[in-house]
Amino acid sequence: MDASNVSVVQRRIYYLFSPFLRIFHWIMVDCICVLFVTGILIGKPLQILNFEPTATYLLMNVVRDLHFLAAFLLCASFVLKIYGFIINKGDRLFPRFWEGHFYMEVIDVALHYMLLKKSHKSYLRNPLARMSYAFLYVLVAIEVLTGFAMYLMVNPDSIWAFAFSWVNTVLGSEFMTHLVHHYVAWAIILFASGHLYMVTRAEFMEGESEVSSMFSGSKVLVHVPTDVKEIL
Amino acid sequence: MKERETLWEACLNKGMNRRTFLKSCVALTSLMGLSTDMVSKVVEAAETKPLPVVLWLSGHECTGCSESFVRTGAPLPSDVLLTNISLEYSHLLSAGSGDDLEAHLEKMMKQHRGKYILAVEGAVATGSNGIYCMSGGKPFIKTLREAAAGAAAVIAYGSCAAYGGIQAAQPNPTSSAGIGKYISAKAVVNVPGCPPIPEVMTGVVMHLAMFGVLPPLDSDNRPKQFFGNRVHDTCYRRPFFDAGMFADRYDDAGAKAGWCLYRLGCRGPETYSSCGNMRWHQGLSYPIQSGAACIGCASPKFWDESPFSERMPKYGPLGDIDMIGAGMAAASVAGVAAHGALSLLQKQKRDKEEAAEARRGVTNGKEGDK
Repeated sequence: MDASNVSVVQRRIYYLFSPFLRIFHWIMVDCICVLFVTGILIGKPLQILNFEPTATYLLMNVVRDLHFLAAFLLCASFVLKIYGFIINKGDRLFPRFWEGHFYMEVIDVALHYMLLKKSHKSYLRNPLARMSYAFLYVLVAIEVLTGFAMYLMVNPDSIWAFAFSWVNTVLGSEFMTHLVHHYVAWAIILFASGHLYMVTRAEFMEGESEVSSMFSGSKVLVHVPTDVKEIL
Repeated sequence: MKERETLWEACLNKGMNRRTFLKSCVALTSLMGLSTDMVSKVVEAAETKPLPVVLWLSGHECTGCSESFVRTGAPLPSDVLLTNISLEYSHLLSAGSGDDLEAHLEKMMKQHRGKYILAVEGAVATGSNGIYCMSGGKPFIKTLREAAAGAAAVIAYGSCAAYGGIQAAQPNPTSSAGIGKYISAKAVVNVPGCPPIPEVMTGVVMHLAMFGVLPPLDSDNRPKQFFGNRVHDTCYRRPFFDAGMFADRYDDAGAKAGWCLYRLGCRGPETYSSCGNMRWHQGLSYPIQSGAACIGCASPKFWDESPFSERMPKYGPLGDIDMIGAGMAAASVAGVAAHGALSLLQKQKRDKEEAAEARRGVTNGKEGDK
């Protein structure tokens, strides 16, 4: 074992993500793809000039049903996320706003991402990623609230409509709810493009198994991450 | 004024027979949006409940609601006004005017305190102590508060009284608003619409007149029987939506064929009103049937949600959110590619330096964050 393309590196394996979180993550990926495509079609249905209602190429009710199916699946899959959150420390990598070193680490990582610093410290999950994932959950929560506020108000008399119609009141009108739902969907897609790049970058440049950890559950790191206490 | 009579007594005085009276009661039942098994309750109320005094105040408005009201088809406005309710004050319909009429309002408010129904049309202008809307020499907000304090129930007719209306559009120089927050009355019914459907207006006031209680209301104080469905969900063009058949312009083949107006910005999917099932003027038509997309005139803030002919607002040359979103996505892909390339260069440099350091025999145990 002395070829020039073989090197001996000592790495440690950190088990982070429970299978529940990983399954949830991939369900969420699929659902967001379906939700985005069908959602854009609902906002702006394709005009393909059907001439017969019985021989149509785009059934809006099917598109809507797919959207609702994916939405319910995504909401239901949060059971997995919550269960993993309860049983496994690695599923709870919060942005630790309440700890002073968090802000120093934000600067550390941001300087590296701005190419002003050669590298950043090693983290199980870096502080910018922590903040962006928390932000994603806020966006998803807005989508869930506005989505149900529109969907359930088909029968304003039902208890479910009562549970969600306040969203329309807070936003001023149901039309505004439609707009917010649509705008936030774009924000989620922009998040996804950034997320995809950052994890791929981390995987290829640092070799720190950012992508594969969402399959295997483990990160394989050379350095001891500064936030390792959180999973011990 | 003599003792107030019931509907039954009013019919007797007019020489109507029992059969005509019962037929009116059946008509009233369906008019109020009640099921037919309520007929006996309606008859009972018509025999025992004295007909109510109605005071109709006009605030910051265009009188379109009054105009709509007098075009009700069933019952005829003459029947409502002369037989079913006792309308004591109205700018549009009063024969008298000036001091006499204002004095009559004061008198009625005192005489029937706690018993009259107050119908309000128009927003309340709250800016500059209400001087933007003066009526009878007094700010409307003052008259409104006085009248509402003694009312058994208040009906807010039209989107102005309910939500502020067009004069509340940004930047709202008169600080116009719906009346709900500015009066102390407990029982307020919102009947939004610009104007509301005539039969909805008579239906609500008749419900109050007959039963003396508010009709079942939703969380926004709108009568459920008239505002319980979206226009979209009751629209006769809905099958074209489901089949994906849309008009793209007001003069294209789709518009001529009567396809769905969704792509033309129809607000049916967000608007709660009886336009789709009751329609206007005894089922003659409603905006969508006449080929115009719904502008959501019964929705709060519809006046600020322009353009009415687009589903989504456009931001100048940038276009709507889909254009902006696609542009931002493209920009982020480009940015990410550039950042990736620069990162690779940085990494190559770093690797070289580390290799050089390693050759110099420096221990490489620390991270390069000095």
